Amino acid sequence: MIRSAANRLLTRRQLLAEGAFGVGGIALAWLLSREEARAVPPAVVNLQVHRDLKARPPQFAPRANAVISLFQHGGPSHVDLLDPKPELSKRDGTEYPGEITYSFINRASKRLFGSPWKFAPRGECGTQVSELLPHLSQVVDDICVIRSMHTGANGHEVSIRYFHGGIPGVLGRPTLGAWVVYALGAETDELPAYVVLSDPGGHPVDGASNWSCGFLPAMFQGTVVRAKEPRIFNLDPPAHLRGEVQGRNLALLRDLYDHYLEQHPGEAELEARIASFELAAAMQVRAREALDIQQETEATHRLYGLDNPETREYGTRCLIARRLVERGVRFVQIFHSGQPWDNHHDIRNSLPAICRRTDQPVAALVKDLKQRGLLDTTLVHWGGEIGRLPVVENHGDPAKCGRDHNGQGFSVWLAGGGIRGGITYGETDEFGHRAVVDVVTPNDFQATVLHLLGIDHQRLVFPVNGQPQAITAGRPARILSPILT
Amino acid sequence: MMKLALQRVWRPLRVREPFLVGLALSAGLLAIGSVAGWAGELAEAEPLTFERQIRPILRAYCWDCHGATAEPKGGLDLRLVRWAIRGGESGPALVPGDPDQSLLLRRIRDGEMPPGNHKVTAGEQQILEQWIRAGAPTARPEPEELPPGIGIAPEDRDFWSFRPIRRPPVPLPPMHGDRIRTPIDAFLLADMPEGLSFAPDADKQVLVRRVYLDLLGLPPTYEQVEEFLRDSSPDAYERLVDRLLASPHYGERWGRHWLDVAGYADSEGGAADAPRPWAYRYRDYVIRSLNEDKPFDQFVAEQLAGDELAGAKVGEWTDRQIELLSATGFLRMAPDATASDDSPENRYQALADTLRIVGSSLLGVTLHCAQCHDHRYDPIPQSDYYGLAAVFAPALDPQAWRRPSERLVSLYTEADRREAQRIEDEAQAVLQEKQQKLDQFLTEALEKELAKYDEPLRGMLREAVTTPADKRSDEQKQLLASHPNLNITPGVLYQYNQAAADELKKYDAKVAEIRAKKPAEMFVRALVESPGHLPVTRRLHRGDYRQPQEEIAPGFLQVLCPDAADAVIPLDDPQLPTSGRRLELARRICRLDNPLTARVIVNRVWMHHFGRGLVATPDDFGRLGSPPTHPALLDWLAHWFGTEAEWSLKRLHRLILLSTVYRQASQHPDALRLDPDNRYYSRKPIWRLEAEWIRDRMLFVSGTLAPQMYGPPAEVAEDETGKVIVPANERRRTIYLQVRRSRPVAFLQTFDAPGMEVNCPKREYSTSPMQALALLNDQFVLEQARRLALRVEREIPADGNDNEFLYRRAVRAWELALARRPDQREKKILSDFLKEQQQLYDNGGAPLPDQISAETQILTNVCQVLLSLPEFLYVD
Repeated sequence: MIRSAANRLLTRRQLLAEGAFGVGGIALAWLLSREEARAVPPAVVNLQVHRDLKARPPQFAPRANAVISLFQHGGPSHVDLLDPKPELSKRDGTEYPGEITYSFINRASKRLFGSPWKFAPRGECGTQVSELLPHLSQVVDDICVIRSMHTGANGHEVSIRYFHGGIPGVLGRPTLGAWVVYALGAETDELPAYVVLSDPGGHPVDGASNWSCGFLPAMFQGTVVRAKEPRIFNLDPPAHLRGEVQGRNLALLRDLYDHYLEQHPGEAELEARIASFELAAAMQVRAREALDIQQETEATHRLYGLDNPETREYGTRCLIARRLVERGVRFVQIFHSGQPWDNHHDIRNSLPAICRRTDQPVAALVKDLKQRGLLDTTLVHWGGEIGRLPVVENHGDPAKCGRDHNGQGFSVWLAGGGIRGGITYGETDEFGHRAVVDVVTPNDFQATVLHLLGIDHQRLVFPVNGQPQAITAGRPARILSPILT
Repeated sequence: MMKLALQRVWRPLRVREPFLVGLALSAGLLAIGSVAGWAGELAEAEPLTFERQIRPILRAYCWDCHGATAEPKGGLDLRLVRWAIRGGESGPALVPGDPDQSLLLRRIRDGEMPPGNHKVTAGEQQILEQWIRAGAPTARPEPEELPPGIGIAPEDRDFWSFRPIRRPPVPLPPMHGDRIRTPIDAFLLADMPEGLSFAPDADKQVLVRRVYLDLLGLPPTYEQVEEFLRDSSPDAYERLVDRLLASPHYGERWGRHWLDVAGYADSEGGAADAPRPWAYRYRDYVIRSLNEDKPFDQFVAEQLAGDELAGAKVGEWTDRQIELLSATGFLRMAPDATASDDSPENRYQALADTLRIVGSSLLGVTLHCAQCHDHRYDPIPQSDYYGLAAVFAPALDPQAWRRPSERLVSLYTEADRREAQRIEDEAQAVLQEKQQKLDQFLTEALEKELAKYDEPLRGMLREAVTTPADKRSDEQKQLLASHPNLNITPGVLYQYNQAAADELKKYDAKVAEIRAKKPAEMFVRALVESPGHLPVTRRLHRGDYRQPQEEIAPGFLQVLCPDAADAVIPLDDPQLPTSGRRLELARRICRLDNPLTARVIVNRVWMHHFGRGLVATPDDFGRLGSPPTHPALLDWLAHWFGTEAEWSLKRLHRLILLSTVYRQASQHPDALRLDPDNRYYSRKPIWRLEAEWIRDRMLFVSGTLAPQMYGPPAEVAEDETGKVIVPANERRRTIYLQVRRSRPVAFLQTFDAPGMEVNCPKREYSTSPMQALALLNDQFVLEQARRLALRVEREIPADGNDNEFLYRRAVRAWELALARRPDQREKKILSDFLKEQQQLYDNGGAPLPDQISAETQILTNVCQVLLSLPEFLYVD
């Protein structure tokens, strides 16, 4: 059941044979995959709605068929992590020459704040990465750092919703994960297709809206796998029902359903209902197995840092993410509780702390996927909703200073699944405040992720009040072709 | 026989004075000749004209920049053909007869226009091309001038849902004999293709369960089913329907449907999602109103303008005034994040969400699409949106906002106040006594401390302590600073004299006890105006509150007012203490010559009875919504509802439930070929119970459903795993549970209970493994299975001489759960299962929970399976 890298990409023949999107659509899609989506003629969309998780072929040949998104809430400080700014260091302490948009005026200053940490070229590619991320530095040849992300808004919520739902600040829309499983369905009928691995500290800002199905049918929302037992609600029968007892109860249920169905032939809904019990029963076994990291070798445990109290928790979730994708889960997203990257205060200590918690597990995930041959077809995303300002945020004691929000320019990275490794894309200005070259918006990001999965973001639509709705909501979005292999 | 039945269903025509207006309903008896062209689709033979086919396309794609604004982009105004020919800065846009030379079409074809991703479809381009080739004809001469904006053309008013409601004649389809029980049946049969008819009537046993669950959201008991089966009188079913319509549980089910569209929640939404402790009065108002069959026009008017109907407070609020104020809770159901964050964004959002609820629940129009610009598809200019906002402005004014806590209406009476004062006086007396004691204790403690010093120091210290702090000399201050032990305050008295401190505490307890007797202050979450507050409302450019434009007067939707004067709502009604704006709006909404209100509610009721509406989009009767599948039936029902039925929902239910279409079986094999999707209603499809009624039904059959109605909601909680649950001792019906937007009850959410982002015009139904897991393992389900088993055991005690008691118990559990006896095959399956189970447990092959015998566990296993059966989760 565990899939190998080889059988994960559909052949063109399969596409044509099974194409739910129609031959015309596929012919067009092939064209598009060569010519870029910018040339998409208007409104060639499929408004046929479906309400099941059957595996569906993509619209055109995909590069990836699963996504792991490591969402870094709070706004990781790109100028201290992934976007070196020598000019900023040189002019440390002097005044920023331009306009700055702050979130916290009362603590604002224009005093430039050079990174306290050293950058150096890493890997064969030589991408500069901060000393705060020694483990990521080891896999830098596999990742593409986008240094020109831009949401245009400093607020956390505005930008988080932009990343998930496609419109800044608008809550309650379907998230990227919901769209992906709506488009492609599930590859396994023993596990949920869209899994959210939540933090032991609780849900992030906006709670369940981060994995909402919005206006899509409810089955496309993310299933939360909790950070502690029980990782899935209602997964465990009480001890006295476990195993054979429940098996016999289900057999009784099946017999009585069959009898009822004989009198009500053709009721598809009832067929689906009894099938759902069978999936649930399978999940009780399979989900537990998938979540059981004790099956992994000690070397793997060490790779993800499970032997270290500081990295154990995040490492466990990264490892579970790999196990889920390996078993056919389509979209896995790992969240933080609160905003650990929101380093307004005491950045000299708070930033290294969250790096220590996550750097090794994140790098381990990339390494592990790669050595198992899964990285080619699994897209890994790491990034927050905003970045941080190049100037000092004051808290009296200069030693305790931090950085305020910055939605004008920041960094995220992508790896695997059709992404060119070992490169950077886009630039911020000399201080790291604004994205100035090859600016990337969350809509571009969404369009690119969908493109890698073989989906045209403009043709993945759902009718709302008869109007086709897409994740990018008719906003400009481009596919970042220079970063694709 | 048939005639008799019809008379009973159709109460004699007796025109009730409408609730608000003295309008004589004269529209009643007009019949319309034709219902063709309902869908507004392009018919083959129809000649293309600008007004009919081209205008909607240009409106959707072009007018935002080339027509709606005062200064059209590039000088091009596409609202008239003449102007299109004249063109703009780029030259003529239209060359009649020559599509390829027409810039308009060329730029559309190139994909250059309109900008953005929302492009003119190929089909629409073809229509444009044909029309231009035909010479770009108009239906009539174009006007010389147009007022600014997109305006409303006669063609806009001619859309099916905006046309007046006329009563079509009831068809008389031949060959159906006694299948026509009501006009509904006649309309449906007349529409069926040849060879198709209704399914046979459902078994009485199926029917009785259907009608119980449909009207009450609760199943019948086994005994109630038996009683109905024994009743062979010809009107047995009719009397059953009447009995159920009179049940107070009716309001608990149908009230829930209304609460869905009203967006009922017990919390404010926004990041903090603060609780709304008094929202429940609105929920109770809805349940009571439906139970007493308040005419729908009155029901709506009370919700829109209850405060205006209530009039001024003279002395105390009367019960009727409290009811009317509670009704306005409808306009306070939208999320209101100003409860925790009073920002302009949140204020405007609360107003926008309220208008959205009004539009989707009452009018079936997507009003919110006109918030930022003229509606792209329906004839609702942006100014109409702000005209409605102006109607609400005296009460919902973002410029002079009141947060939810500032809007509560206190129900404290003068008598309450006096009683509270009397009790407070009593408390004050005790406090005075306490103060005396305290002074005494402080003096004693001080004396005891002073006694530790010798004269003359003692005298100096005493003098220093007793001198008021601000009169003390520097020496005195110095002296006291070096003797901190003399700074005896009530807070540290215990350090000097514990017994005294304890005695004082008893006074505090006594005061608390006295104060607790004060009458509790209750509130209504109401919408009321600030007296004399008549703010100016302005249109907001792109819906942005920072960009106010021209003033907009209060008004109703122009498309619903053929006479322009009807759209005007007066600024102020001098006869009323309030502005009268919402009362006037209620008058416009609640009458039969408003084409939407009656159609929308009739369609909603139909949707809940049949699983889908005659119009599949209950909140959108506009161009983007679905056209009615049975337009004549919809209009007949709407008209009948607003005239003979006098807006009585119960009479509407009754008419529907007595119809053959409702009484037919779910199985109709003959019809599968002719009506595979049941478009013609040739069977009554099974439907899944909504989340609330799955929970209620489980409590009901386990015998533990608590009967109390109304009152403050039962709070939800998180269990030790973080799952939001209903505390186990809370067994009231689900409608009485707290609806916390940010904390949806996991079990209910799993079964698709709506989240109430704003409101829920139509529910989704999913089938997911999470639901199966809940039915297999959720504590609530396990508990109800256990309780059902124990209930059966109490009824059928174990008997040492009876080997069959387990089987008899299982059959009884079946009766209780499904309200029928198992058939032969089911009995066999059950008895085989029981034998297997006995072997399993006899051999110790399965563990037992604490204190539970094998017999009880076996029965519990059976019960749990019963709670997951199709007949339990679905209604046939």
